[in-house]
Amino acid sequence: MAVEGGDIDFDPLEDLPCGVLTTDAKGLILHTNSTFCEWTGFHCDEVIGLRRLQDFLSMGGRIFYQTHLAPLLVMQGSVSEVKLDIQHHDKTTIPVVINAKRYQRNGAWFLRVAAFVARDRDKYERELLVSRQKLEGMVAEATRLKKQSEDRALFAEQMIGIVSHDLRNPLSTIRLGIQLMEKRGVTPDQKETLGRVHRAADRASQLIKDLLDFTSARIGSGLAVAPKPVDLHEVVALAVEELSLAFPHRRIDHVRSGEGACEADAHRVTQALGNLVANAVAYGQSDTGITVTSTVAPAGWRVSVHNWGAPIAPEAIEQLFMPMVRGVAEDSGNRNVGLGLFIVNEIAKAHGGALDVASTQELGTEFSVAAPHPIKTPS
Amino acid sequence: MTTKVRNNVRVLGSGPITLFFAHGFGCDQNMWRLLAPAYGERYRTVLFDLVGSGSSDLKAFDPVKYGSLQGYADDLLEIIQEFGEGPAIVVGHSVSAMIGMLADVTAPGTIAAHVMVGPSPCYINEGDYVGGFSREDIESLLDALESNYLGWSSTMAPAIMGAPERPELGQELSNSFCRTDPEIAKHFARVTFLSDHREQLPLLASPTLILQCDEDMIAPIAVGEYMHRVLPRSTLKIIENVGHCPHLSQPSASASAMDDFLVNQGF
Repeated sequence: MAVEGGDIDFDPLEDLPCGVLTTDAKGLILHTNSTFCEWTGFHCDEVIGLRRLQDFLSMGGRIFYQTHLAPLLVMQGSVSEVKLDIQHHDKTTIPVVINAKRYQRNGAWFLRVAAFVARDRDKYERELLVSRQKLEGMVAEATRLKKQSEDRALFAEQMIGIVSHDLRNPLSTIRLGIQLMEKRGVTPDQKETLGRVHRAADRASQLIKDLLDFTSARIGSGLAVAPKPVDLHEVVALAVEELSLAFPHRRIDHVRSGEGACEADAHRVTQALGNLVANAVAYGQSDTGITVTSTVAPAGWRVSVHNWGAPIAPEAIEQLFMPMVRGVAEDSGNRNVGLGLFIVNEIAKAHGGALDVASTQELGTEFSVAAPHPIKTPS
Repeated sequence: MTTKVRNNVRVLGSGPITLFFAHGFGCDQNMWRLLAPAYGERYRTVLFDLVGSGSSDLKAFDPVKYGSLQGYADDLLEIIQEFGEGPAIVVGHSVSAMIGMLADVTAPGTIAAHVMVGPSPCYINEGDYVGGFSREDIESLLDALESNYLGWSSTMAPAIMGAPERPELGQELSNSFCRTDPEIAKHFARVTFLSDHREQLPLLASPTLILQCDEDMIAPIAVGEYMHRVLPRSTLKIIENVGHCPHLSQPSASASAMDDFLVNQGF
């Protein structure tokens, strides 16, 4: 096939813009072109019949050749796009990408290789490697930090667990002592003092309970609830009765709405109610009553606590359910460290519901724990 | 995960004795394609990939377990236990020769004989011992593996140039025999080439054939001769071959050396 200009005498291999090599089965170079010789800084006479392909490789490259390339060439007859470092006469290295193919002529095997200089690819690959190593370092650091924070959280949880548990024993000793002293007969003066000690002990044990709940809700497995079929009105009535005894100077009314049957954790509902009523007592207007409403509707159940008094500032509402936050109390004697609403909110969430608050000057302040009925799966 | 999946175990052939073919550093069980099939006529043959190589389950690669050859030896013992029938003979190439030796020393009596193709108990020169490499050479290999990141990355599939004489090799197989996760390859290279099992060699009681190439830079003749001196029951057979894979480049010479050994040992 001839085209115009096709009669110019090109040596088809000499003038190729890539290095070419032909070797025998042992790698001895039988032919090469001037491009390869120029790249490697050798005279072609120093290469042909004298040097083997392997001789141009670094020691690592030779091992790589023996363990990867040589077997591949036998197994699939060719390799493509393999990167190797070729050693220049002056001992510097030239990154090349080679394609190689095995041929059989007259019963003997030959290898033909085409090599392209690949400095840019080499640079790119090395940059890629550095980024990869950097990324791996970052992932390792993130994993380490995560583990560390998990360890710390676990430690804090265990710590609070241990402290709370160990505080119970001295507290029960205090309570027992008060009871013994009351039995032995005391003067009215002493009785008043003992009453204060008794209330302080109650607050301390409430604080321990709250701390335990807070710890498990915040850094542990979450606050545990065990909803069971209950009569909500009865649960709330009992709680209101107890709270009326605890806060004798405030009137607490209970309003019932709908049938009482629902599924809830009676203990947790009582606990939530205790926190909400304590708040209403602390923050509400002291000469007004508190209204507790229990509602069971087709969609779910609700327990609300209403009090009169100055409304909660709108900007404060957002943070209200976060731990360690508290409002401005008229009488701060009844306050704990501000875990109350956080725990009520957690109780509502654990029931699949939420804690809501509405607070205005006209309508007063009402906190509501509302939860949907569990979805009944048809049997 | 089953041993079968973990090591991509393939059982072929049948016979009263089981031959376990264990590939070396670099590629996978395809390395045995020119040698193993003929043995299927007389023996039960088991081929497998070392974890981290070929089609083994890469999820099973645990750098701690495979931080020494013992991890691979324990796998080999499990494979023999599960897939062996009758006496077990381990045909191990390169690093797998040492893996077979470790398996034997760990559970003496499990392996009846070894065929070691290009074995080396220690690649690095030390005192009078000639392993063939310096520590810098091995570092240079790790660098070569690393700088081939694109080419050998398991996610890159270079275009095949075509191998008309091997139509059975699908395009998707191109280079894949020798391709693996570059990090695993580097780890395996380190474990392989920095290992030194010279102390365990005298403990190997089973008969062993050392198949030594006359020109192999990975396992030079001096290493084969050293093994022959130290192994209590060894036969040294030198094959004319340039390179580290006589089972690929000289399959018939390799097979006849193996046959002589197996016959002499009564297998």
